[in-house]
Amino acid sequence: MTDTQAPAVRTDNTERATPKRETHIKMAARDVNVFYGTSHAIRDVSIDVDMENVTAFIGPSGCGKSTFLRTLNRMNDTIPIARVTGDITLDGEDIYSPDMDVVQLRARVGMVFQKPNPFPKSIYENVAYGPRIHGLAPAKRDLDGIVESALKRAGLWEEVKDRLDDSGTALSGGQQQRLCIARAIAVDPEVILMDEPCSALDPIATAKIEELIHALRGKYAIVIVTHNMQQAARVSQKTAFFHLGHLVEYGETSEIFTNPREERTKDYITGRYG
Amino acid sequence: MNNPPAPDAGAPRRPTDWRGTAMQRRIRRRYAAERRFRLIGLGAVVLSAGFLAFLLITMLSNGIAGFTRTEVTLPIDFRAAQLDVTPQQLESRGADLALAGAGLEELVERSATAAFGAHGPDVISPHAWTGVRDALKDDPSLLNRKAAISVPVSQDLKSALDGAGKPEMQAIAAKLKQHDMIGSSFDFGFLMSADSTDPTDVGIWGAVKGSLFTMLVTLAIAFPIGVLSAVYLEEYARKNRWTDLIEVSINNLAAVPSIIFGLLGLAVFLSFMNLPRSASLVGGLTLALMIMPVIVIASRNAIKAVPPSIRDAALGVGASKVQVIFHHVLPLALPGILTGTIIGMARALGETAPLLMIGMRAFIAQPPEGLTDPATVLPVQIFLWSDQISRGFVERTSAAIIVLLLFLLAMNALAIYLRNRFETRW
Ligand SMILES: Nc1ncnc2c1ncn2[C@@H]1O[C@H](COP(=O)(O)OP(=O)(O)O)[C@@H](O)[C@H]1O
Ligand SMILES: [Mg+2]
Repeated sequence: MTDTQAPAVRTDNTERATPKRETHIKMAARDVNVFYGTSHAIRDVSIDVDMENVTAFIGPSGCGKSTFLRTLNRMNDTIPIARVTGDITLDGEDIYSPDMDVVQLRARVGMVFQKPNPFPKSIYENVAYGPRIHGLAPAKRDLDGIVESALKRAGLWEEVKDRLDDSGTALSGGQQQRLCIARAIAVDPEVILMDEPCSALDPIATAKIEELIHALRGKYAIVIVTHNMQQAARVSQKTAFFHLGHLVEYGETSEIFTNPREERTKDYITGRYG
Repeated sequence: MNNPPAPDAGAPRRPTDWRGTAMQRRIRRRYAAERRFRLIGLGAVVLSAGFLAFLLITMLSNGIAGFTRTEVTLPIDFRAAQLDVTPQQLESRGADLALAGAGLEELVERSATAAFGAHGPDVISPHAWTGVRDALKDDPSLLNRKAAISVPVSQDLKSALDGAGKPEMQAIAAKLKQHDMIGSSFDFGFLMSADSTDPTDVGIWGAVKGSLFTMLVTLAIAFPIGVLSAVYLEEYARKNRWTDLIEVSINNLAAVPSIIFGLLGLAVFLSFMNLPRSASLVGGLTLALMIMPVIVIASRNAIKAVPPSIRDAALGVGASKVQVIFHHVLPLALPGILTGTIIGMARALGETAPLLMIGMRAFIAQPPEGLTDPATVLPVQIFLWSDQISRGFVERTSAAIIVLLLFLLAMNALAIYLRNRFETRW
């Protein structure tokens, strides 16, 4: 990896396409490597995720998008053979330092998974679980308020307000995924990571999630993994292209899709592999 | 774009003859194989259902008699006997003592001689007088009356009624039957008393209570330890040679013959820890050792079956490991854990051999009052009764088997109920 891939260097390039906006960096990764046993899944990745933009990770299947995403909230800790080196910071704090409480970190950096995975409990309990274990709602009234506002932000309130006691697993796939987003929002995270949140959904449900991502932009730093390039183009303002564990290119989405600098990026975007 | 070369489509293609004779034969053979397999399966089911039906029918036909007692109507003239007790004494606590002191037993024997001849005392059960005593306590006004009271018959007369036993008894039996003085009623004594040497006087309650105490100890020890071991092995233990070894050992322990656990219990709890012999405490501990592997294996499988996506979901909102386990994994694994536990408990309930080893085969005429009292359990009681020569014990044995089967049935029903109750749909 040469320095040209470091995100800071891209800024002069992107200035051409979009007027420079004031962004503040939420999470920063420097020279991150991830190993599964001896297999080297992520190689020297450095990237900044900011508060104002939605960042999309694209790349062929198996290139390490999920692996890298999971380093950002230390979900890789649950895989015994996974090992992470390099620095990742959240607001300048090293998230892999011994002082960082991983439970609190995961509350601050929420996650939405590929397959909707609501708890087999009521809709209310699904959303209330996070605030409850973190003690965010001292009284039942506060909890009700948190649940309502989280469901509203996730665009699900109107559909479920009359049946909060129904099982979360009885909802349709798209509703389940929005419930999972509401569950993540309910603990008031700063960053939301989404790993192919629409890959199990039909086009209409997908459109709803994309709308939702638009609405949430700016309130949370959002990172979304997708293998669907149209989706990346629709929802993100910044795109990172991964290939074989490398971060090949990172920049403004419009730039990447219209004028990629790297041959590999161009090949991928034009459908040569994927 | 960069497509792989198309496969060669130029080779000539012969159409498959789906209607040819070879094909027809293959179809017929396939149908025949399916029919054969269905018949074999049906045969197996019918055979096992037949065995089950045979068992149930023999048990029920023998056992129903074990729940009833045969009675004879005994006329007693209390007024003429002038028992030295007052009606006030009969109402008081010391009634039993007063009646025994006043010679009630002799009165009953004398009345039997008067009613049935010289062999009279052999006609009625040796403790027939306790029935009379209870009747007097219920109705003190009997004291200055003549009354006919139903009392249990002796084992000898019972055999005679069935056409066996001594000739003089058979003669009396025939006469009593003729005068319609023989009756039968549900034997509450059987459900309320403990073991005895006389089959007309035995009861199952001692063994039932012993079984309940024993199961209580087994459950209290085996369930928490088994489930926690399973949680530790599944969630915390590193996968290495040691955990592999433990896993193999547990699987082997589940297959160890139960009598070995009896020897273990004898060595550890009696010889080493000096716990009381024959106590349900020791029996429960021994059976807990026996079913722990079953619970560990069932719980581990149930925990393994919890989808990883649920763990991810909980970890993703910042649940700690313990919270993931107690809020999500265990509740979802609960049906499997409970089913495994109840299967283990049912096995423990029916277990005899290990309990014989720790001395639970003693003759115990008092239901146990606590965990350290000498006790026996249902299967051991069945084993002991089946060993008796007296004919009266045959019916009692079958009756006890029915009670045991009812317990097992109830536990299995509970297992099914719990599984359905806690099962989550995905
Ligand atoms: N739990 C794991 N154990 C071992 N190897 C893994 C594991 N998860 C992913 N990998 C490997 O890491 C590489 C990247 O996988 P992943 O991050 O899932 O890719 P993507 O999400 O881009 O499709 C793949 O080669 C995959 O086989
Ligand atoms: Mg992936």
